[in-house]
Amino acid sequence: MDSSFLIKFEDVVIGYDKRGLLDSIDLSIQNGQFWGIVGPNGGGKTTLLKTILGLMPPVKGKVQYGKNHPLIFGYVPQRENFDHIFPISVAEFVAMGKYIRIPVGRGIKKEDWKIVTECLEKVEIPHLRNRLFRSLSGGEKQRTLLAHALAGGPDILILDEPTASMDIKGETAIMELIGKIKERDNLTVLMVSHFLNIVARFADHVVMIDKDDEFFSSGTIEEVFSGETLSRVFGLNVTVEQVTDKIRIYAGARGSDKKT
Amino acid sequence: MLDTSSFGEFIRSYFLWRDPMIVGAVSGAICGFLGVYVVLRRIVFVGAMLSQVSSFGVALAFYLQGFSALSLFQSLIDPFALSLVMTGAAALFFALNREFFRISQEGVIGFGYLLASGIVVIIADRITHEAHDIADILFGSAVVVDPKEVYIVPAVAIVAILIHWIFFKDFIFVSFDPETARLFKYPVRILNTVLLLTVGVVIAVTTRALGALPVFALVVLPALTALFLTEKLNWVFVLAVLIGILSAVLGYYFSFILSLPTGASITTSASLFFLLGVIWQQGRLLSRSKFG
Repeated sequence: MDSSFLIKFEDVVIGYDKRGLLDSIDLSIQNGQFWGIVGPNGGGKTTLLKTILGLMPPVKGKVQYGKNHPLIFGYVPQRENFDHIFPISVAEFVAMGKYIRIPVGRGIKKEDWKIVTECLEKVEIPHLRNRLFRSLSGGEKQRTLLAHALAGGPDILILDEPTASMDIKGETAIMELIGKIKERDNLTVLMVSHFLNIVARFADHVVMIDKDDEFFSSGTIEEVFSGETLSRVFGLNVTVEQVTDKIRIYAGARGSDKKT
Repeated sequence: MLDTSSFGEFIRSYFLWRDPMIVGAVSGAICGFLGVYVVLRRIVFVGAMLSQVSSFGVALAFYLQGFSALSLFQSLIDPFALSLVMTGAAALFFALNREFFRISQEGVIGFGYLLASGIVVIIADRITHEAHDIADILFGSAVVVDPKEVYIVPAVAIVAILIHWIFFKDFIFVSFDPETARLFKYPVRILNTVLLLTVGVVIAVTTRALGALPVFALVVLPALTALFLTEKLNWVFVLAVLIGILSAVLGYYFSFILSLPTGASITTSASLFFLLGVIWQQGRLLSRSKFG
């Protein structure tokens, strides 16, 4: 029996309220891999992610977990998911990531705060620990969310649109930081993103999903990201070019092959 | 007219206001504390709904006591017990609504408030001889506090504080980030239910002692004021408790010496603190934009 995987889908149907969205999903995620999850809006990315996280049971089939089970997930939600009325400091926010290992009814201890400090150092924002989360810039919030996810000592880091609404400098900085942490802590990373070039540059594997087209494909970047499949899924003329050891994706206007 | 002789008279009448003042101060403290959750979770009108449902319970008990056919159950139809049960049930329904019934939160609050208000007015119309008691329930009374409430209100407050002491981090977590809490396998539904039940029970008990209007004010205004004054979460709770106590105590004091309706006096005191909070925050924002 293959036990090298962390998470495995074999002929799984994902969906909710007993309604299947996408049939026959096969997927095997190994330790240390960096997976991108891409697809059009409403294509089923969130449903797949919630099934992986165990928040949504599959409609049919079973999600298998490898020998590390139960896995600790470090979840980085979208930055705008939080209500700014809460006066939560950066350190308090990061400490909440540690709650996965703190039982209900037990308070935060001194050693938990030490881990908070270490995580803030890992994401290079120890100076922001007493600032309010709501007062941070987009990039600073993303680093705080990353520290929050790391505080639980995760096996898998799950990122939901980590570079949404960021400028190119912030985007590069956060992705390089994620890459650095992944290598140093030997983490497995799953990243939902609309930015295909970011996925192509930083991930080594990708899932492309579109429930409306009943399309699901998984594999290495080179296997999945072809001009033909991207054009089909996104309904645009998409060109893929090899640039040094990475691929670049160019999307043209609908029906034209103008490069952007 | 307020003068030093009024204050002296107030002090000399210690035996008259001691019990209501104790009950008011404890109610201000616990309502101020729980109000922080109510405000942060953006469900301020839950306070109004629950205090109204509590009044409904009390009024219903008075009404049922008038039926001779129910004489066997007289001891069971206690205004305090019935208001507690009804407020607890309303809090439970509100906590579980999102997952089971999926009616909008505002819809549930509006429905609960209006139904309870309507029935209280109908019952008050039917039992004119207890109309004064009903008015006390709705608007509070400065000098009349049932002696057992001097024990019940602090006892309930201590139990609520103990529960919140134990689950403080968990209540904050499920209020701020329920999505991650579910991912971490926290019992989000149970924690939300316990949190809202503590709010419901405290509102039921304090409404019986103070009245619906001041309890709603003490749940909402001290917490809002505290959020104007500090940006540290722990301090928000501390300040909300202090402002709750001050609002109740000053409300009773002015009610006593100026012969004002107590509930309205407490509500006005809490509102004045809120206005001071707004002024403080605006001043701070102005100085920040000027100097840095």
